Amino acid sequence: MPANPSQSNAGPGSNDSISRRSFLRTSAVFASGLAALAASLEPLRHLKDFPSTEQFLQKYYKELSPAEMAKVLKRIEDEVERQYGLRPQVKDLRPMDGVEFVYALNLTRCIGCRKCVHACVAENNQSREPEIQYIRVLRLPHGSMDMEKAEHNYNPESVPEKGFFYMPVQCQHCKNPPCVKVCPVHATWQETDGITVIDYDWCIGCRYCEAACPYWARRFNFTKPSIPKDRVNLNMAYLGDRPRRQGVMEKCHFCIQRTRAGRYPACLEVCPVGARKFGNILDPNSEVSYILRTKRVFIQLKEELGTSPRFFYYFDV
Amino acid sequence: MTRAIRNYFVFLGRCGRLAFAGDWRYYTWMGVLSVICLLGLNAYLRQFAQGLIVTGMSDEVSWGVYIANFTFLVGVAAAAVMMVIPAYVYNNEELHDLVIFGELLAVAAILMCLAFVTVDLGRPDRFWHLIPGIGQLNFPASMLSWDVIVLNGYLLLNVHICGYLLYCRYRGRTPAKWFYIPFVFIAIIWAVSIHTVTAFLYVGLGGRSFWNSAIVGPRFLASAFTAGPALMILAIQVVRRVTATSPADEGSRLREGGSVAQNPTSRAATLDDLELLGSRLPEFASAPRELRHSLLAAAMVWEAKAGDVMLRQGDTDNRAFFVLKGRVVVKREEGGRYRITRSLGPGEQFGEISSLAGTPRTGTAVAEEPSLVLSLSADALRKLMKIPRLNKVIRSRMSERLLITDRALMTLRSIVQVSMLINVFLLANEVFKEFYSGNLHVASSKYLFLGLHGHHALVPWIWTAIAFNLTAMVLLVLPVSRSLRWLNVTCVLCIVGIWIEKGMGLVIPGFIPSPLGEMVEYRPSLNETLVCFGIWAFGLLCYTVFLRMSVPILQGRLSKANEGA
Repeated sequence: MPANPSQSNAGPGSNDSISRRSFLRTSAVFASGLAALAASLEPLRHLKDFPSTEQFLQKYYKELSPAEMAKVLKRIEDEVERQYGLRPQVKDLRPMDGVEFVYALNLTRCIGCRKCVHACVAENNQSREPEIQYIRVLRLPHGSMDMEKAEHNYNPESVPEKGFFYMPVQCQHCKNPPCVKVCPVHATWQETDGITVIDYDWCIGCRYCEAACPYWARRFNFTKPSIPKDRVNLNMAYLGDRPRRQGVMEKCHFCIQRTRAGRYPACLEVCPVGARKFGNILDPNSEVSYILRTKRVFIQLKEELGTSPRFFYYFDV
Repeated sequence: MTRAIRNYFVFLGRCGRLAFAGDWRYYTWMGVLSVICLLGLNAYLRQFAQGLIVTGMSDEVSWGVYIANFTFLVGVAAAAVMMVIPAYVYNNEELHDLVIFGELLAVAAILMCLAFVTVDLGRPDRFWHLIPGIGQLNFPASMLSWDVIVLNGYLLLNVHICGYLLYCRYRGRTPAKWFYIPFVFIAIIWAVSIHTVTAFLYVGLGGRSFWNSAIVGPRFLASAFTAGPALMILAIQVVRRVTATSPADEGSRLREGGSVAQNPTSRAATLDDLELLGSRLPEFASAPRELRHSLLAAAMVWEAKAGDVMLRQGDTDNRAFFVLKGRVVVKREEGGRYRITRSLGPGEQFGEISSLAGTPRTGTAVAEEPSLVLSLSADALRKLMKIPRLNKVIRSRMSERLLITDRALMTLRSIVQVSMLINVFLLANEVFKEFYSGNLHVASSKYLFLGLHGHHALVPWIWTAIAFNLTAMVLLVLPVSRSLRWLNVTCVLCIVGIWIEKGMGLVIPGFIPSPLGEMVEYRPSLNETLVCFGIWAFGLLCYTVFLRMSVPILQGRLSKANEGA
């Protein structure tokens, strides 16, 4: 900072020397200001995830023409190849007509082994460091559905444990999803087959949906996701498991890359006790239709909130 | 047309130059703020590069101090404009100039709000997705999209009102009512809307029972009208102090002065002198005979030669003066030199501000030519001001020169007083409902007030806030807060108390426990804290610059008339 101008006792100093001095002083202040600014900009050198012009200007999913979509898919394939050394196949799978997916989970069978949690991470290219998981398994004492009594970090020698039951929770794909309502930019929406999806290239990362979700189903990429090269799942979907970028939301999407191609979600396939059931509720002959028709009690979590989940919990007896 | 544009740019240029001119105190203040700003910028860029992982936020507590500060500042912005109500709706003249300071504070607060939400974004590069037309604004479903619209609209409204009024003052024109009064009234309604919409951000989330309460909106307004005017009370006292002693700036002529100080000779005033004043100041002519007689007892007439000093900077006598004949200049001393701040002819007054406010003289008045000056005691001046027409003239001249009276501060005090009472009452309502009914939704409140399952990071904070708010409430209802010193203490208590209650005390516990019952606590990281300090410094920097430009305009020291001088 410049010292207080001492013009009052300038004495015989001519105007010329005063102006030269003030010029020097101004330049010194200006230069040190610039230097301070430059120093404060230093972290930009470590920028890991700066968007390219194409990424920056990319259009909203629903506004991409088929030709534009083809270009974008190719660009994503190039990016993945550049980063992981392997060329994936990225598809834009659309919902099938006459299909509405629902999930049913048998709480009597679930043993809390968390195999679904890890199968999901392996399938959906979630960040491993820090690890993002879409499924959280709660351990609850017999007789209570009060989530405040839930233990999230149970870690016994073996499961199941006496006196407890286990409840895996993931995106409930609500018919009336609070997350979709609150998103300020339409970056998340419900597809016709009931899957709530996210356009990872449109999300601005405000995390309002994360605050709105009553099931704590949404996850945020607090930093650039990292996946070991040999763990990348190369079967990718645009609204599904393609790698995400720093600063965007993600969540369970019923394994779009599998289920829209006629396969089961990864969490279902890995379940050792057959607690997980998935299918088309519009098909009366599907397994989930049978379960919802015949089971006397099934539960939609936090039913009182009016979210109307497509994820049902039921009991055998 | 081009001339109008040119004039406007000259105006902007002169204002801009003012922002870089000042004494050593100004440079120090601005320098310190700039350094904090740059530290904040540095911290933010670290976050920009590495992601929000450098904050204390998590998937469990996904909003933190950024959104807490945002919420608080929306309240400040909303409340600052509420001073418009007494000024325009009830025509409280003393608040008129303060309205501009209030609106400038609103502008600074909104800029900070926008900064706080921007730093909270995971992908700030995609901000354009929010712009209607090119982006995909989810209006009206998303409350956040409402916030985008109302905050930016509010910013524009206030920039328009302040900018227009200041420019008119600069040009010496009377502002066209139709061009700002409608906007003033829109701004009043808008102020309520920005804060209600911000409350609805939280209230609308059915999954978060702590926020899903109808009382949050009214609580937001009550706390805003406590903290906002409290901040104004402190800010305008700073303005008053700084403008009372700050040197005149650009626009006033520099001149060597104070050659040989002499005192004028004085004599008792006569009815003829009052007659003379009446001929120079037509509003005085209506003064009734009895009043004139009673004035005579308290009036003196000074016969001054050129160079005679009538009052001196720093003196604390309480007389006010009217020029009857001749010309008097008011000079301000600065670093051994004098600047002439005003030049007064017959019928004009000087010294009345320090006379009424009892503050030290802010300048030295010297006769420029042989002059006749009527001098009145403060009591006599008050008597004079009971004549409505005269009151209006004297006051309008005073407000040209920025009079911030203690009465204006007391008006603000009563706003703070009522709001704090309502605020505490509403909080008590909320606490009762949460704890008495004792249902499972009380978990967040338990965590906030008492601690839950061995987690109690927020407990000391909320009790500090409650202690501060209650103390402030008691002080506000006691007469002791009529003294400025106690009022200032009270205001600080209000601001800190509300900041904690509404920021940390409302945003954070909504996330704890998580919707799945997990207890994960939140503590802001150092980097996050630095970003917050940076934004606050940026806001103060903006407000200082706004005041730096607007005060000389309001004082008449920067005007079209002295362009090029």
